[in-house]
Amino acid sequence: MTLYLLYESASGYALFQAHGLDEIGQNTEAVRSSVTDINRFGKVAKLVGFNPFDSALDALNQCNAVSEGQMTDELRSFLDLSLPKVKEGKKPKFSVGVAEPKLGSHIYEVTKIPCQSNEFVLELLRGVRLHFNTFIANLKPGDLEKAQLGLGHSYSRAKVKFNVNRVDNMVI
Amino acid sequence: RGGGMKGGSKVTVEPHRHEGVFIAKGKEDALVTKNLVPGEAVYNEKRVSVQFDLMIEYFTLFSCTNRAHVNIYCAQYDVDEACRLAGWQFNEDGTKVEYRVWNPFRSKLAAAILGGVDNIHIKPGAKVLYLGAASGTTVSHVSDVVGPTGVVYAVEFSHRSGRDLVNMAKKRTNIIPIIEDARHPAKYRMLVGMVDVIFADVAQPDQARIVALNASYFLKTEGHFVISIKANCIDSTASAEAVFAQEVKKLQADQLKPKEQVTLEPFERDHACVVGEYRASKKKK
Repeated sequence: MTLYLLYESASGYALFQAHGLDEIGQNTEAVRSSVTDINRFGKVAKLVGFNPFDSALDALNQCNAVSEGQMTDELRSFLDLSLPKVKEGKKPKFSVGVAEPKLGSHIYEVTKIPCQSNEFVLELLRGVRLHFNTFIANLKPGDLEKAQLGLGHSYSRAKVKFNVNRVDNMVI
Repeated sequence: RGGGMKGGSKVTVEPHRHEGVFIAKGKEDALVTKNLVPGEAVYNEKRVSVQFDLMIEYFTLFSCTNRAHVNIYCAQYDVDEACRLAGWQFNEDGTKVEYRVWNPFRSKLAAAILGGVDNIHIKPGAKVLYLGAASGTTVSHVSDVVGPTGVVYAVEFSHRSGRDLVNMAKKRTNIIPIIEDARHPAKYRMLVGMVDVIFADVAQPDQARIVALNASYFLKTEGHFVISIKANCIDSTASAEAVFAQEVKKLQADQLKPKEQVTLEPFERDHACVVGEYRASKKKK
């Protein structure tokens, strides 16, 4: 049973394959120590695919969907492309670790790809978050923060739906 | 004009024990941070800076009486030296350094600093997750402290104050505004990277849980947390001390190891600030 990890960053979706999990085991203490050190974590998680967002608008749509636990068409085609093909009528020999169960169940409903979300997966995703810059070669230092900055502003602006003049819409 | 500390030209600025924080020494001492955006106040706070009229005042001592004289003076003498003597500082690119006064009655972090907290862990270059950002008054000072190489992820749920936060963040590019519920970090996981410090001022009964949850997503192993605890918000029937002790226990249960605790008296009543380390390594025992 192979475990893949889905990581949603501000600049795009990334899929990792987890290796050598039998050796580490599910013991959280051992996982924790292997997550912190990039030399060890680089052997644990290998990048399988990275799908950068096309535009700021695309990123905002993906971010809204991820936040609500929905799978977008883009995420679906990225998963179809990056994960091994499953033969008709056979059970997949892998599962995908996702950060949030709601997204996982939605992916499973639509694509029948088994997903899991637990403490162990979250711990591995902590490692991905910590070392994300080293995994994606095209990402220069500061690039990710810029993506986060742009996305944070557009996401938050949509949330507060404000009217710039600070005139509050009164509730009748 | 609101800018400038009254009391004339004799304001000097010294670094505080905490890196990135300063003390302005004039008629009265004030806690200040170096303004990331000189010329702009965020919430009408006072600013300390070198103003041209003050400069004239200073040059008057060297018998210059107007701007023309100053120009002559500048051609003849070492302006850098004169500014150093007067305690005026300029950035490397020649723009003036401006400081913003940090009011401990309006900011719990400033109150904690004046309360003598040993380490705030928020320093130049640090990445900070700020929970309960409100309109962003303290956030703006944290943004000053971490400077252009740091990042502040500012989370606020209320749309009304969130609007002010978003507007303020437009001018300060090291702040990433996030209008979302801090109880659900999964909702904003795409927007936040790993951070060095979590600062929390959420004033909710379950704030220990909120901080622990956010730490599990975003706080580096052996990263730090700074939490402001308002006793009333957690349990208004128990004594403040009992509430603080109970909160500290909750934190410990979630691998948030408290290292120190200061009260925010006289600036806030029944408030404490707790600073600690996340997943502290065991070998130090």
